[in-house]
Amino acid sequence: MNRFLDSDVFYAFRTSPVAIVSLIVTVLMVLAAVFAPLIATTNPFDPASLNLMNGFTAPMEPNAFTGESFFLGTDDQGRDVFSTILYGLRISLFVGVAAVMLAMVIGIFLGLLSGYVGGWTETIIMRAADVQLTFPSILVAMLIFGVAKGVTPVEYRDQMAIWVLILAIGLSDWVQFARVVRGATLVEKSKDYVAAARLIGRSPLTIMIRHILPNVLSPVLVIATISLALAIIAEATLSFLGVGAPATQPSLGTLIRIGQGFLFSGEWWILLFPACTLLVLALAVNLLGDWLRDALNPRLR
Amino acid sequence: MFRLSTAIALVLALPASAEEFNFAVTTDPQTMDPHAVNSAPVLGFLNNVYEGLVRRGKDMAIEPSLATSWSPIGDGEGWRFVLRQGVTFQDGSAFDADDVIFSYERASSEQADTSSWFAPVSDVIKVDDFTVDIMTSAPNPIFPDSIANWMMMDSGWAAANNAERPDKEQGNYATLNANGTGPFQIAARQPDLSTVLEPHAGWWDEVEHNLTRVEMTPIQNSATALAALLSGDVDFINPVPIQDAARLQGNPDVQVIQGIEARVIMLGFDQQSGAAESGQGASDMFLDARAREAVAKAVNVPAILQTIMRGNAEVASQLVSPAMRGYSDAQAAPYAYDPEAARALAAEAGLTGQTISLKCPNDRYLNDEAVCQAVTAMLAQAGMDVSLDAMPVSNYWPELRADNFDMYLLGWSPGTFDAEHPIRFLGSTPNEEKRLGSWNFGAYSNDRIDTLLPMIQSEIDDSVRQGMLDEVAKIMQDEVAYVPLYVQPLVWGARANIDVTQRPDNFFILRWVTVN
Repeated sequence: MNRFLDSDVFYAFRTSPVAIVSLIVTVLMVLAAVFAPLIATTNPFDPASLNLMNGFTAPMEPNAFTGESFFLGTDDQGRDVFSTILYGLRISLFVGVAAVMLAMVIGIFLGLLSGYVGGWTETIIMRAADVQLTFPSILVAMLIFGVAKGVTPVEYRDQMAIWVLILAIGLSDWVQFARVVRGATLVEKSKDYVAAARLIGRSPLTIMIRHILPNVLSPVLVIATISLALAIIAEATLSFLGVGAPATQPSLGTLIRIGQGFLFSGEWWILLFPACTLLVLALAVNLLGDWLRDALNPRLR
Repeated sequence: MFRLSTAIALVLALPASAEEFNFAVTTDPQTMDPHAVNSAPVLGFLNNVYEGLVRRGKDMAIEPSLATSWSPIGDGEGWRFVLRQGVTFQDGSAFDADDVIFSYERASSEQADTSSWFAPVSDVIKVDDFTVDIMTSAPNPIFPDSIANWMMMDSGWAAANNAERPDKEQGNYATLNANGTGPFQIAARQPDLSTVLEPHAGWWDEVEHNLTRVEMTPIQNSATALAALLSGDVDFINPVPIQDAARLQGNPDVQVIQGIEARVIMLGFDQQSGAAESGQGASDMFLDARAREAVAKAVNVPAILQTIMRGNAEVASQLVSPAMRGYSDAQAAPYAYDPEAARALAAEAGLTGQTISLKCPNDRYLNDEAVCQAVTAMLAQAGMDVSLDAMPVSNYWPELRADNFDMYLLGWSPGTFDAEHPIRFLGSTPNEEKRLGSWNFGAYSNDRIDTLLPMIQSEIDDSVRQGMLDEVAKIMQDEVAYVPLYVQPLVWGARANIDVTQRPDNFFILRWVTVN
């Protein structure tokens, strides 16, 4: 612990107000998402608890029919916007983190493999990566989502939607990790400690994981943070387009899509609050990633 | 010099008198072929380009169009139509009885989507160049009413362009080009982008409009369309998002034109025994009438109308709205909302514990997805577990045709404005050979209705006919064949200087548009 408090990275953190604020915001958001069932006043994912007559209630004002009042108002189905944002935040963060993990595992593995083994393996993996890079990742995600939805039996579709989203975003995002890890691996491979490990008869897999991997992790960490912000936005985009989270379990993107239809009619709260939440979350994570990149890059110090 | 400047001034003045009119639609008509697709966006638009033997006036009454008069033959063996003389198609060729025969063969061919309209027809005979006899296999008093959308195509033009039969899948020359007798002709057509119309100079009827150029732009997102209307980019949009109507009424630059559409929105059920839904095994849950009744009682339609429709629609009790001929006053009471009874019925019918798959379009009817979500929540409150799947309409119909549903949302607007129409399409047992029940996706079937339908079609006496229609309405209500929800409202928006005429079939007829 002392070693960490004494490190350059912590010093850079301590002296950067942007980093401190964005970390606090991110942590608060994560806490709000994790404890959503305790904080939220209603469970917006339980259709049986909704009362349609509560629809379109303005923030802090009583509903004309039921007399109920909601902190941030309600959407067109009578869902409490505040509770829905908390639950939506849960989906957004969960999908974001899980998708990045998936992308990271695939990317690191393929990157290490192609960097260390080289030859045909490298050519095949990296050309596949190039091909995938020619498609916008959101299109790849939509393609995967569409195919997965088609093969899922209908009664599991709602439960599966989240996992399919993770798969879709994760599989569309591994290329960056693979490229960075491959580059770093190429550099590390020619270093003496790798040669030494090879000399004492370590297997290639052990060398890759035990020796090279720890030394290529810091750029991975930076990409992971920035990818997290992108994955959250990708999830919101898919849901906004209506292909992501099911309408009965709205994520932030779904809420924004619903709210967009009511901008002209004056029900601004359905769009504004989820949009602000998404904005703040993505901004905080992004700033954190930016700062981390600077802090871990010795050339910038 | 003076003359030159006058000439320039005249030339400059000309474009100002040209009345250009731009309008936005939600769904681009998928084809310009009047026989290829039987859907409201296609037929509604093509009514401006093509014409039928008869047409509907501003009050929906049938009036002469390409036929000047018609009368029954003998004892109800058919109808004789006397054709209008001196009518020319937009390419200049003349209209005569051969074009009617050709259009009959084309529109009733296997490849045509309109063939069910001609199920009662046994033969079409050319008497002379301007007289045609349409023979029916049984007396058919409402036949002229049923062919207002049967549009006449020039036989020579179709033959010259190799478009003698419609082609729904591949498309042919008639998919992108048109040659009708109507008041407007297509000057340019880019599917999903823009369609430009110009007046047909040789149109036979008196011109009411003052348009010189019309451009139709599809704008799928209704909020975007509204923004375009407010900024003046388009002069007309259909529909105005229902939530924006009230606010728009306060704006002096635009006007909101509201009415009740002929379209009834309803829930349908999979009622085929043993029909296996893909990956779900046999789903016979809605074979039991109690299960369907549970749904009927669980849905709180007034609440949907109050919030999602903002008080702009009326509760429906049967498959047609009260404005239609043959509406059953005896069956005017809608299902009563009773969640407790619904819960009990659902349990009795074994619905509890099963996942009901509800399919829903998200770009076809007003607020369709929101309505389905509300239905999902209401059924959940009555103890039914619903999995909602909303999709664009281009995926929706194939999904319904493939029987991938337990419940679905459907809107039905009777083309004939008569209660017989939904019985033919939605109430009778599906029978491809007789072209019956072609939109009865759930295969609802009742022998008595199948017996009554031909009797209704051939009955001349109005009160006897109404008696039979009442009986059908009662059977369908008692058996909960469908759950009618509400009659869809019509909300059009136009700039303040535009005069339009709104018809309950939601067809936008350009010949009644004037720009002031």
